[in-house]
Amino acid sequence: MRSKLNFLINVSLKKKIKSKWFLVANIIVAILIIGIINIDSIITLFGGDFNSKTKIYVIDDTNIMYESFKETIEYYEKNLYGEESETYEIILSKESEEDIKKKIEDEEKSSILINIYYDENNNMNAKLISLSTIDTYDYQLISSSLATTASINVLNSIGLTEEQYNKIMNGIDIEREIIDENITSEDEDVQMIMTSVFPILILPFFMLTIFLVQFIGSEVNDEKSTKSMEIIISNVSPKIHFASKIIANNLFIIGQVILILLYGFIGLKIRDLVGGNNIMNGIGAEVGNTISMLSKSSIGDKLIIVIIFAVILMILTFIAYSMIAGILASMTTNTEDYQQVQTPIMITLLIGYYLALMAGMFKGSVFIKIMSFVPLISAILSPSLLVLGQIGILEIIISILIMIFTLFILVKYGMRIYKVGILNYSSTDIWKKMFKSLRSK
Amino acid sequence: MLKVEHVTKYYGNFKAVDDLSFEVDKGEIFGLLGVNGAGKTTTFRMIMGLLDKTEGKITLDGKTIDYSVTDNIGFLTEERSLLTKLTVKEQAIYFGALKGMSNDKILERLDMLLKKFGIEEYKNKKIKELSKGNQQKIQFITAILNEPKLLILDEPFSGLDPFNIELFKNEILDLSKKGSIIIFSSHRMEHVELFCKKLVILVNGKSVLSGNIKDIKEKYRKKNIMIRCDIDKKELEKIKGVEDVIEKSDELEVKISSKEVVDDVFKLVSNCKNVTKFVVEEPSLNEIFISTVGESYEK
Repeated sequence: MRSKLNFLINVSLKKKIKSKWFLVANIIVAILIIGIINIDSIITLFGGDFNSKTKIYVIDDTNIMYESFKETIEYYEKNLYGEESETYEIILSKESEEDIKKKIEDEEKSSILINIYYDENNNMNAKLISLSTIDTYDYQLISSSLATTASINVLNSIGLTEEQYNKIMNGIDIEREIIDENITSEDEDVQMIMTSVFPILILPFFMLTIFLVQFIGSEVNDEKSTKSMEIIISNVSPKIHFASKIIANNLFIIGQVILILLYGFIGLKIRDLVGGNNIMNGIGAEVGNTISMLSKSSIGDKLIIVIIFAVILMILTFIAYSMIAGILASMTTNTEDYQQVQTPIMITLLIGYYLALMAGMFKGSVFIKIMSFVPLISAILSPSLLVLGQIGILEIIISILIMIFTLFILVKYGMRIYKVGILNYSSTDIWKKMFKSLRSK
Repeated sequence: MLKVEHVTKYYGNFKAVDDLSFEVDKGEIFGLLGVNGAGKTTTFRMIMGLLDKTEGKITLDGKTIDYSVTDNIGFLTEERSLLTKLTVKEQAIYFGALKGMSNDKILERLDMLLKKFGIEEYKNKKIKELSKGNQQKIQFITAILNEPKLLILDEPFSGLDPFNIELFKNEILDLSKKGSIIIFSSHRMEHVELFCKKLVILVNGKSVLSGNIKDIKEKYRKKNIMIRCDIDKKELEKIKGVEDVIEKSDELEVKISSKEVVDDVFKLVSNCKNVTKFVVEEPSLNEIFISTVGESYEK
């Protein structure tokens, strides 16, 4: 005889996988992920050229600025985009401002003209001319390079010795020392990176939890509103029915995560095949630097532990959210009612998400640390705090234990509500009925 | 045998079922009657184990009904309880599998029953595309898919035309002959009279009348006399024990309080001209139901 639990799980999973919604949503997600990873190639395909250099014409009336400006801008460019980068072409022009302006207007629409001259008070000035607005990065790079070049020229003109000049230009060497031997300065760098990266990593968890809550609610409501629940519950116990919903929907969500990772992998493979362009070099270099920094530093090992604990905590939290969603859905009779009663879930989820986003800002806050133990919130807050070095492994283990205890409570008392709720067809006094059913056995 | 012994159910302070007892043997068809809110659905739900009893005991062949025996039970709810987005075949597999049936067995039974009900062409159609009557047929088919030992039918004939009622009736009688215990509720007393040997009438959760229909009718003192002759209606109404005289086309229906009144009516009628009909009839179940329920309400 086939297992009724397995049968219900299969039915629930097949129903979702075979739905047009699943197919359409996954096609869109796959196109988006693969597309974003290969955005430069796609734009190039439609006529964009990321390999073309931005020409910067320089009219140097001072006769002393051009060489050091060229050196400075190339230095900044290599620091920003990597050693191989050739984003800018600096050209010293002997043409008049008007001629170059005409050239930019008619032909070289993305080129820039910098006219450096002395005014009547013998102060150095620069005029920046372009056809349209220019990229913020380009503007900052040019203005910083001009300022640095001007400083160098002034320093050169006042007759400093080479030793004095080098002292000014080299700035200050900062030696970093952390008293706690367990933490290295590399950990600090990784923490700085993770402060910006982690909010992106927790976004899928946030989104998938919302999907999970919606799936379970609509499934239970569908069976209730068609009254087929009575037939189902007359054949399988509420416990098995409840378990089938939790298992099926969590498996579906985990499957969806795997699919998203697969789309990302396909996107990267396609990128390898077609070859990315310069536009991604900056981001690529950042990711590369981050990965190499993580692999070299001691936090690499720590991160593996963080990932393991975070995954355990997230799975437990997925289960808890799905149980709460199932319990609430059991008390409602239609989707409209369910939308109302699920508000506490959404608020809890949002609190967790925003606390995790702001965790880096409230370093050392006792409140944030306490919140990291709160079930449902802990899944995104604890790993954030662990990565930021605000809590240790012990604290995250305590969060996991609290979560397991919460699941035990949910199973014990939630089942009482579910058993009464799934056969309840009245939409009045839902919360009152829910608390009342806690007393039943 | 299904045994319901002194079953009581409270919802908070409200007593939905009050000390209800009855027995149904194998092959028997049992009627559970009552107006809306009398406690019929609560009783069915308690038999199915969907609701816990406050007091009492319900057993099937001596065993308490739990999930170990529900594979042998068929249940048709008063309202449509089908997943309307599924096809007929998918629905049958869903409910059949929950009864522990194999796919082959489900499809074999489904094909046979669809043919019997003349709706083979709907096998792969979505339930929401079917008419109300055909949905009811599918609901009935899924309830009897497992050839249940115990079949509970809550208002099985709602939404059906006389032709389909006949189809349902034949299938129910067929199952009864095979030994199934069948309990059903209906507001239509003529349907109950068609099948049931035994019944219970519930008023406010309490049994106010129960037993064999034949015995109930015999015990029921009130009778009806159908008369066709030249007589003044007012003359009949003057007789002591005549409760009402109703004109029905060319006949008169005389409602009497007991069979002792028959002689007095007969004496009067025998003096009239053109007497072509004088028949003493048992009251219909409908009359007994209305009378019993009415009396109990008044109490």
